[in-house]
Amino acid sequence: MKKGIVVVCTLALVLALGGMAFAENVIKIGAIYPFTGPMAGTAQMLKDGVEMAVDIINNKYDFDFLFADTEGLPNLGGAKIEIIWADSAGDPKTGMSEAERLITSEGVVALIGCYQSSVTKTASQVAERYGIPFVNGDSSSPQLTERNFKWFFRTDPHDGLYARQQFEHLIELEKQTGESLRRLAIVYENTEFGSQVARAQEALAKEYGFQVVEKLAYTTGATSLNSEVTRLMASKPDVVLMAAYISDQILFTKTFKTMRFAPKVWHNTAAPGEPDFLKSVGDDGNYLFLRQGFCADQVVNKPVIGQILEEFRNKFGQEMLADAVRSFHAPIVLADAINRAGSTDPEAIRQALLETDIPGDYCLSPWEGIKFDPETGQNIHSQYIICQIQDQDFYTVFPSEFATREPVFPFPSWDDR
Amino acid sequence: MPKISRKTVVTVLLYVGAVVIAPLFSKAPFYRHVLIMVGLYGLLGVAWNIMGGYTGLYSFGQSAFFGIGAYTSTMMLVKAGVSPWIGMLCGGILAAIVAAGVAYPTSRLRGPYFTIASQAFARTFQILMTNWDYVEGAIGIPLPLMPDTWRFMQFKDKIPYHIIIFGLLGIAILVCYYIANSRTGYYFRAIRDSEQVASALGINTVRQRIIAAMLSAFFTAIAGTFYAQYVLYIDPESVTHHALSIEIVMVAAVGGAGTIWGPVLGAAILMPISQYARAALGGAGRGIDLIIYGVIIMVIALVRPTGILGFFQRERTIEGEGGDDVDTTITAGTGSDDAVRGALGQS
Repeated sequence: MKKGIVVVCTLALVLALGGMAFAENVIKIGAIYPFTGPMAGTAQMLKDGVEMAVDIINNKYDFDFLFADTEGLPNLGGAKIEIIWADSAGDPKTGMSEAERLITSEGVVALIGCYQSSVTKTASQVAERYGIPFVNGDSSSPQLTERNFKWFFRTDPHDGLYARQQFEHLIELEKQTGESLRRLAIVYENTEFGSQVARAQEALAKEYGFQVVEKLAYTTGATSLNSEVTRLMASKPDVVLMAAYISDQILFTKTFKTMRFAPKVWHNTAAPGEPDFLKSVGDDGNYLFLRQGFCADQVVNKPVIGQILEEFRNKFGQEMLADAVRSFHAPIVLADAINRAGSTDPEAIRQALLETDIPGDYCLSPWEGIKFDPETGQNIHSQYIICQIQDQDFYTVFPSEFATREPVFPFPSWDDR
Repeated sequence: MPKISRKTVVTVLLYVGAVVIAPLFSKAPFYRHVLIMVGLYGLLGVAWNIMGGYTGLYSFGQSAFFGIGAYTSTMMLVKAGVSPWIGMLCGGILAAIVAAGVAYPTSRLRGPYFTIASQAFARTFQILMTNWDYVEGAIGIPLPLMPDTWRFMQFKDKIPYHIIIFGLLGIAILVCYYIANSRTGYYFRAIRDSEQVASALGINTVRQRIIAAMLSAFFTAIAGTFYAQYVLYIDPESVTHHALSIEIVMVAAVGGAGTIWGPVLGAAILMPISQYARAALGGAGRGIDLIIYGVIIMVIALVRPTGILGFFQRERTIEGEGGDDVDTTITAGTGSDDAVRGALGQS
């Protein structure tokens, strides 16, 4: 009897495997995201971003955007894009095997994903071996586009680029205010993301003539950061450059406040942009600088953003955040390339990807467009924007052509708020 | 050396036959990947079994040895262009040395205290690797892509990997079989059943525990090198993470700890379930595959707390009560009397 239960469970699985539907005239694209594990929430946002893009491609919308006025891909007889989802569980080995399965068993013509850079590394290796285009919009490790892969393309900027923009911003702040911001403290969480950012920052500090007075690695998930902040205060930095995950970012903010630590500039990665941050810290989150791939205030520069955000809100019942914007571009780029290629032959798609030239009007992110470097596969127009939190909302302050508000400088002391 | 019985010959032939036939059922790389995972986790389970199953040292720190294997061969390959075959051997030896270094100071710890110490060691090791710049820290190391070669153990096709991992697994099983039937094996089981009694009988328990740890670490590290060559990218998160240690214990426990084929059976059952469940249901993004996986493990644990192989073992022992020759490959080491008698050389 009990053995029977095991047998039935196993049978059910086998049947579920065989029951996959097959539809005609669809172009299958594989998408690998960490749907289980600690990044599951982010993966859902990334998935919504991809689905929004696919929805625009496959259906008619009355705004000015790529594929908005057609159903499916016009050059392929209106073929629709179908996404085959796969779960990486955030594990490079699983990402690899899922990429392989999508290519060989599901017959996808291209791959997108995988958020965590380590998973993107192994999954794109598989794509490279099989000769299948891989378009990534959501991994930021500089290494990814330093491998000279033929089949790998990235729409988003990477961490190296981000650090450079950060220094350009600091220099501009110095010019505007006449204050010296040369003493830097670099604080980073010690996994791959934080390490990459810190490494780039340290190199650039040397290049631009800044002095790193403290370089502090911490382990994510700490329950107290008092000793870290004490060390930071002792080094008397003008600027704190921080690469933290959301939970630590909240704790750092609270600890800074308790210990009354207010450097002139507090520069961060994207963590304060996540919805939980302002919910947890409220007004204490004001005046932080952060990097963003996207900021909703950019709607003043591109009205179509507002319409897409509106559609997203209606469809998924929540705001379209930066992560969804990141994953949104990849399917658009692929649909555009497949449409121009007029075929689903991988080599034809790759050639079309190399000739991609999407104008900035069709990017949600503040880019001049999407055009790939033929050597590295990196989008040469990609860049971040730097936002500041003011009145518990995000405003672009750098680069100046996108700025919607003047930055508040210096970071006000905790007692004067 | 035990006599080579007909049963042994048949077992070897069956194993080789199964390994050769298995990949022929489907050409799909995913299917063959699942088989390779069975081999990899089977090897890890067999290695854990030497410590956990035979000697009663429930190690939850195998990920450290796995990491040593993966990092040693990869660093030798990346920095000096040394073939991973040599790196594999070096990694195994290095892991064995480290294991000896850990086993000695922990030799007085028993039961859960040893388990805690092993886990603490592995976690420390992960933090070390994450912060060590020479091995690229948290960023990890991508292995250089090469054309198919046996010398550098890199292939586009799955079959060579299949041959390598099941070859390694075969060697590990043979070693395990040899040990289980040797005096060392009886010492191990005597320690598992009662360390005090074993010690009172004159067994040098510290020494035997160190030997068990070294053997286990050696094979775990070899699996680590294989992983690095197969996935072609390693970072502390994927090769030294404590979740890996738990997966290894699970494979052995579900299949049947303390038996030669138990860990292999455990891998052969758990890997296809987890992989196919994820492939079929993982894309929905609700973790249903993990729920199914968890339920199956709970069912097995409830129905057969001693592992799936224990199912057959119990039946066979009952059948064999009439004084039949009990299959040593399966029931070796049940009952402390047996072990102690063996240790005294009276059996």
